[in-house]
Amino acid sequence: MRERRVRNALLMPGLVLLAVILFIADLLLGSTRVEPSEIFTALFGNGDQGVEIIVMQFRLPKAVTALLAGAAMSVSGLMMQTLFRNPLAGPDILGVSSGAGLGVAVTLLTLTPLFTLSSESLLAGWGLILAAWTGAGAVMLIIMAVSARMRDIMTVLIVGILLASAISAVVSLLQYFSNEAMLKTYVIWTMGNLGNISYNQIRTLTLATAAGLFIAFLMVKPLNAMLMGETFSRTVGVEMQKTRVLVLASASILAGSVTAFCGPLAFIGVAVPHIARLLLGTTDHRILMPGTAVCGSAILLLSDIISNSPGGGHIIPVNSVTSLIGIPVVLWIILGKTGLGRRF
Amino acid sequence: MTPGRVIAETKDLSIGYHSRRRVFTVMENLSLRAHRGELVALIGRNGTGKSTLLRTLVGLQPPLGGTIILDGRALHETGSSEMPRLVSFTSTEPMTVHYIRVRDVVSLGRFPHTNWIGTLTEADRRAVDGALEATGITALAQRTIDNISDGERQRTMIARSLAQDTGLMVMDEPTAFLDLPSRYATVNLLRRVTRESGKCVIYSTHDLDTAINEADRIWLMTEDGVSEGAPEDLMLTGSIARAFESPQLSFSSGDGSFSFVRTRHSSIALEGKGRAAKLTARALSRCGYNIESQASMTVRVSNSAGGTEWIVTEGQETESFDSLYDLVTYLSARSQ
Repeated sequence: MRERRVRNALLMPGLVLLAVILFIADLLLGSTRVEPSEIFTALFGNGDQGVEIIVMQFRLPKAVTALLAGAAMSVSGLMMQTLFRNPLAGPDILGVSSGAGLGVAVTLLTLTPLFTLSSESLLAGWGLILAAWTGAGAVMLIIMAVSARMRDIMTVLIVGILLASAISAVVSLLQYFSNEAMLKTYVIWTMGNLGNISYNQIRTLTLATAAGLFIAFLMVKPLNAMLMGETFSRTVGVEMQKTRVLVLASASILAGSVTAFCGPLAFIGVAVPHIARLLLGTTDHRILMPGTAVCGSAILLLSDIISNSPGGGHIIPVNSVTSLIGIPVVLWIILGKTGLGRRF
Repeated sequence: MTPGRVIAETKDLSIGYHSRRRVFTVMENLSLRAHRGELVALIGRNGTGKSTLLRTLVGLQPPLGGTIILDGRALHETGSSEMPRLVSFTSTEPMTVHYIRVRDVVSLGRFPHTNWIGTLTEADRRAVDGALEATGITALAQRTIDNISDGERQRTMIARSLAQDTGLMVMDEPTAFLDLPSRYATVNLLRRVTRESGKCVIYSTHDLDTAINEADRIWLMTEDGVSEGAPEDLMLTGSIARAFESPQLSFSSGDGSFSFVRTRHSSIALEGKGRAAKLTARALSRCGYNIESQASMTVRVSNSAGGTEWIVTEGQETESFDSLYDLVTYLSARSQ
């Protein structure tokens, strides 16, 4: 008991410190080599013009986005895993990501050719974000309608999976009939991008993340009860319908907004909660939820640093990085002595 | 022991469920009682509706008719926020979470008493400690739920229910999947809980043995309704025998045990004393022999320093065996 407390007391500040270090590292490192001292002077507004653009227009928004998106996706995944009592649940499974993808696909592949908009202007502006949000929101509403009607939460999970499959079929169809340029834009969107976001959009993402995390935090107690199953939760006084709707709303706001701004980020939502459980050694959401948020930020910041291949002059898609870091971690958790199921 | 105050009572209760706009009534006209300080065992064959009755009692599904009175107040007048302080329920719902510590599970029992984020106060911690101690799992408190035995996990669930600190504890099959010693230990623990805390425990079980030996009151569910009373009352009226007897099974009201009905094809005489002779009688009965004082075939059990020997005599023929297994095999081969 005491050992555990001491461990947690040291671990949480340690994780926060790690996230801060990675945040600073993300500012310092990038595809263009810039001296750290120049970066710090640029941050306080009296540096070299070129460096200031690199730092203020590219690196800082990207680092802030990674910080927010990592926390949002991970907490969304954690809540879904507890709600659906399934260690493999995550934003992608529920169809939230694919809903956003559908919105983007419809906009890019059908509307754009009709109104002869350029795909570049769409990628940079609000168009795709609104489309992704609409798509994610639509799927979220369907899932919530189903969950309000269905007693069994597993049914909701199955509906989510089916919906995701149906959506990807539609998206494939749209891709098949679209032109090459549009197709490329869509594929690039699916690769995930933390850098394509303006300060205005960051403000929106911050608000959405704060709102989502606030609701999530209010759900900590019922989420803990849900670990014991639905029957137990009901008999100790958890209002299941209300809780489900709020948890789903929060998870969808978090995942939907991130997907809208950054594309469907792979692996983070499913894997980070497991990493946090492993590190913190607890299932108590009071500790696990903030822990998961911080781990998510740290891991996405690290992925971003790697994806900008410091000094190499190339940028690799962040989704490839999260997958390549994440899949071995998940495999290690599944196959390791402790086992994925045992850590859940 | 004088019965305590009535804690749970049903009046003309109908139980069942709605499905696709149709109503399935499982059982009607149930008028039952349970008192404080009592261990009530709900028994009955599969499919008679034991779980439905328990789930209705704790408010998980609405009754189709009639009233349930918990601690002096009708269930439908009790707010959903008050229920968790009146009655706790342990279901057969499997745990999907493995990496959770025993103490954390028991602490979740305090759910109805803690604040919005679930902070345990000093009083909550004392209740958790007390529940761990009463169920004898204090030493396991820091172990994870997948690192303890089935019996210990059941104790953990009982501790969680105790920590919830309700006057009535309802449990659906707490002895399922347990081995024989754990079954007895679990039911015995439930009985002790009722004695020490004055709580009432209602549990359903398929394990007649422990129910008859430990429960104060039995709710016996059959297709015709529920009869209640002390185990011996129901044995005396023959209710238990009627509920569970079948062409293959007979119930002995004398000692409350079941035995298979066997086709007796021949008789045999048995000579001998002591435990070996008793077990021989049992083995002979198992393979269909009636034991009589006079018969054409005789089995003699002889105990000597070298061990036990069985000698079968029929007319002039004599065979001897050094284990009951050999004896039984020989007899079965002969009778065919």
